[in-house]
Amino acid sequence: MALSRRTGGRSRLTIALLVLTSLSLLTLDFRDSPIVQSARRTAATVFSPLRGAAESVSEPFTNAWHGITGYGGLKDQNDELRRRIDELEGRDVLQEDAAQQLAELLGQQNLEWVGDIPTTAARVLSGSPSNFSHTVDISKGSDDGIAVGMPVVNGAGLVGKVVQVTGSRATVQLITDPDFAVGAKLLPSNVTGTARGRGRGKDLVVDTPLEPDSEDLPTPGTSLTTSGAELSAFPDSIPIGKVRSVRESGGGLAVDLVVRPMADTERLAFVTVLLWEPPA
Amino acid sequence: MTPASRWVVAVRTSVVLVLALTFQLGIAPSLGLFGVQGDLLLLVAIAAGVSAGPDRGAAVGFAAGLAYDLMLQTPFGLSALTYATVAYLVGGLQDSVLRAAWWIPVLTATLASMLGVILYGVFGTVLGEDLVGVALVRTAAVVALLNAMAAPIVMKATEWAIGSGRGARARGVFR
Repeated sequence: MALSRRTGGRSRLTIALLVLTSLSLLTLDFRDSPIVQSARRTAATVFSPLRGAAESVSEPFTNAWHGITGYGGLKDQNDELRRRIDELEGRDVLQEDAAQQLAELLGQQNLEWVGDIPTTAARVLSGSPSNFSHTVDISKGSDDGIAVGMPVVNGAGLVGKVVQVTGSRATVQLITDPDFAVGAKLLPSNVTGTARGRGRGKDLVVDTPLEPDSEDLPTPGTSLTTSGAELSAFPDSIPIGKVRSVRESGGGLAVDLVVRPMADTERLAFVTVLLWEPPA
Repeated sequence: MTPASRWVVAVRTSVVLVLALTFQLGIAPSLGLFGVQGDLLLLVAIAAGVSAGPDRGAAVGFAAGLAYDLMLQTPFGLSALTYATVAYLVGGLQDSVLRAAWWIPVLTATLASMLGVILYGVFGTVLGEDLVGVALVRTAAVVALLNAMAAPIVMKATEWAIGSGRGARARGVFR
């Protein structure tokens, strides 16, 4: 019985120390400690070859699983069709935005237009490695000029941004991640706000300075693009999404927009990284 | 049978963790069900609790969670906190449960997986992640199902790595 009590006491001490250590690590992470970033980068680099090998070796088995669960031979065809739909939808928003930009800013120099930014296309290697992580890994890394912070798009619009890079692959934080935020502007009113993710499969929420009786209140279907404000983490005019609904916030004093993202982050096959680094 | 030395246990546990992490990162995302994937690292933590009790189980659970946290962009330490807690609870429960039938550890793994996912959601929400909701329960149920399928293999592997503390614990209890 004495041993049992001793063992129980040691167990409680162990769990108390482990909980304390976990809380310390969480605190370090919330303070954006470079130690945590560095450890993550090193772990990703070390594990990258193992992960790649596992993905290659397991491909026949995962294909078989897709077949069993009904995904099967339609996967590639679906991806291709989805990519075409995304491109067409994205083109609508881009044209609307382009017309407005031309009308308002014609003649201004140094217009930062997305089309002029060098890009590199990459294949999506794997989805989120956890049920609570909103990231994907892509097939290109720092060897191809990709750096942390670069915007990632597809034919439809903004997909996310690069948050971790190794030599041959990069991790992209998706626009639906609850920690993701991007400056957005409404077309054609140019009212700006901040779009935030709310989790997998959910719409974005954009907080705006608009009041519930404002004349600029958008109607469902109104398009949003990145605002490209000074020191913004994203270039101007990347399509973000379309307004699905408008709701009151801040005790009825302000308005939030519920926005459906243009890019379907659940079914990404290829993405394009804009080789554009946010201003320091 | 002579118990394995600490170094052997450490090396074997590392091997199991690396294999589980490789599978989790490289293969599990493609083997999901209803858009949800199993959680092998959580399963290793639970298996450690079952095999070796709350003390060593919590330590292995912490290591498994920390390794997973290093590869994710979620709050660093959240998986470690959750997995250590679950392994500790499972280990404590196993001390007072007779395990004559093969299905008891599998059932334990299933229920503990569900608990682990929900606990992760609760801890995450406390930290401002907004994870609690119907989707969390659905995710927990699917993870529990997938983990139950993998439980027999992971239980065996973990027991090989850590050894079973049942004998020692039983002697301690009845002394």
